[in-house]
Amino acid sequence: MAEKAQVKKYLQESHDKIFENNRKWADAQSAKDPQFFEELSKGQSPNYLWIGCADSRIPAEAITGLGPGEMFIHRNIANLVCNVDLNAMSVVEYAVSHLKVKHIIVCGHYGCGGVKAAMTPQDLGILNPWLRNIRDVYRLHEKELDTLEGEAKYDRLVELNVLEQCRNVMKTAAVQKCFAENEFPVVHGWVFGFKDGLLKDLKFDHAATLKDIQKIYNLTS
Amino acid sequence: MTDVLDHILTGNRHYRNQTLTHDPTFFDTLSKGQSPSVLWIGCADSRIPETTICASQPGELFVHRNIANCVHAGDINAASVVEYAVTHLKVKKVVVCGHTSCGGAVASLGDAELGEVLDSWLHPVRELRRKHKSELDALPDDNARAVRVAELNVRQSIEVLRRHPAVRRAASDRGLTVHGLIYDLGLGELRVLEESGKGKGNGLWSPN
Repeated sequence: MAEKAQVKKYLQESHDKIFENNRKWADAQSAKDPQFFEELSKGQSPNYLWIGCADSRIPAEAITGLGPGEMFIHRNIANLVCNVDLNAMSVVEYAVSHLKVKHIIVCGHYGCGGVKAAMTPQDLGILNPWLRNIRDVYRLHEKELDTLEGEAKYDRLVELNVLEQCRNVMKTAAVQKCFAENEFPVVHGWVFGFKDGLLKDLKFDHAATLKDIQKIYNLTS
Repeated sequence: MTDVLDHILTGNRHYRNQTLTHDPTFFDTLSKGQSPSVLWIGCADSRIPETTICASQPGELFVHRNIANCVHAGDINAASVVEYAVTHLKVKKVVVCGHTSCGGAVASLGDAELGEVLDSWLHPVRELRRKHKSELDALPDDNARAVRVAELNVRQSIEVLRRHPAVRRAASDRGLTVHGLIYDLGLGELRVLEESGKGKGNGLWSPN
């Protein structure tokens, strides 16, 4: 019983910590700028849509130095953009057609647990259909990946997965139509590295890729 | 357009230098793995960066963010996040956080067409509005109605989560709890959704 009471106490304390931190943060913001929260409550017009991994180590705004109101965020397992996924598709639709973001960033990270899990010969239940998309990325780039081994192979799969998800973003009608009209949003592929804490730009070629995929995936008319 | 992008790449370099000055082994430690204690399910809205508003550190919150912080039964995206966080990472708490002035909640007060994708996604939220029509009609204005819809939506997401097999197992095996929160954008404050707890006053849902 004593142990149960301790667990309960721990749970309560770890829960309270979030609220304490939140109050401190809100007080500090208001002290700096008394209108801060009032302005925010009027609306948002972020420049960026970030599609990243749910991994706890990559808080998008913190690692890019952005404040509240600057970046619209979707995070899921292994930063995937699947065409039948209403969840991610509604995020893209809202960000592009309603908020008119200028940049869409797909950001993966080295050492991604989702990518590793997808390369494990194991039944992972409900995760199977989700992670299948990563196995498909492997199949698309099998020749290149088979020349690599160990960490180098995983690292490259992380990069190729980001590039494939960039292509998937560009296959949507929302992105194609908005771009045809406004020359934005521009799609970027990045990878975050824990070794140095830096974002690596994979130099995804927006214009060339758009031309390339529109041979088959054109949805502009 | 490039300078907008430079803005975040510069921000990243600044973040990295600051972090390393404070703790030279920070990224080394992070690269070894994650063991977050909380799964945060929040809105994609740019005004609610969870790590910033909770003054948390990288590694503490596993994060899923979508339009209007919805957990719909049958959504494999959110279900995968829940499965990975609960079964594999063994988080101790799942938090669903809605907020005031939520575009999704405001849109759900009416039936204006937003495009087929968004209309499909928000369908369950609009159903909540229909189900609670008399309660919502009695509220003074649309701001209050949107807040109430956001609260109902958090509660609904918690109901879906409670029935997720991984959550049920973890709740009975190791005391996983699920919490509902509302973030007040005008105040910068998190508020516990009382009715998501059983009179405990901390938004705690427990299996008994």
